[in-house]
Amino acid sequence: MSSQTTNGDGRGIGRPSGRSGGGAGAKGGGGKDAGGKRYFFRRRKVCKFCADKIDYVDYKDIKLISQFVPERGKILPRRMFGTCAEHQRKLTEAVNRARHIALLPYASD
Amino acid sequence: MSDRTYEILFIADPNLGEPEVDTLAAQVQGFVEKDGGRLQKMEKWGKKRLAYDVRRHREGYYVLLVVEGSGTMVKEVERRIKVTDGIIRYLSVRVDEELRKAERRKAKRALGEEKRRGRPGAPPPARDVEVQQ
Repeated sequence: MSSQTTNGDGRGIGRPSGRSGGGAGAKGGGGKDAGGKRYFFRRRKVCKFCADKIDYVDYKDIKLISQFVPERGKILPRRMFGTCAEHQRKLTEAVNRARHIALLPYASD
Repeated sequence: MSDRTYEILFIADPNLGEPEVDTLAAQVQGFVEKDGGRLQKMEKWGKKRLAYDVRRHREGYYVLLVVEGSGTMVKEVERRIKVTDGIIRYLSVRVDEELRKAERRKAKRALGEEKRRGRPGAPPPARDVEVQQ
């Protein structure tokens, strides 16, 4: 872990936040919070499905679903992406269907 | 009973040729029609890589059928698919209710937007063609 600048902000990321919780937060929320304030500012998460007005989560739409399923194949928890309960439920259903038909992996390795 | 809409998606053996997959698809369509179902749409996605091995295959032909009919029809079609050689995996999903719900929500939202536009103080709504999402 060398402290090189990852995005445009010249400042290095605060060490304490980079260790545990902050690492995950930075992954989900874009690099905007890298400067100055460490953990005070957190972007409000909005359910992507609500924002994009997706009513039916289609299991065939892997492009959409795979945003919520990283390489390992596990479904991202709601706290990471801010999906609302309803859509998380639908997402889970869709992912499970997609898994059955081998469009998505079951949790691999 | 009114008919329901189902999606039947199956994966065919990748070692088959394109024409064989076509006959397989036609065969499944035959299963559907034999039990009083109607084919709405058929999509061939072609050969795709599988996310994991299915019966020692790394890829497969995906074929999607959208079908109208009763539940017993689908049950029978599933049974026949199971005994058909060359189909390595299938999935059938009932979609009509979910789609109808989604449709209703869309309509509701459109209505809500209309209302918001018509609020006092807001500029008069453009009462025109505003059907498309």
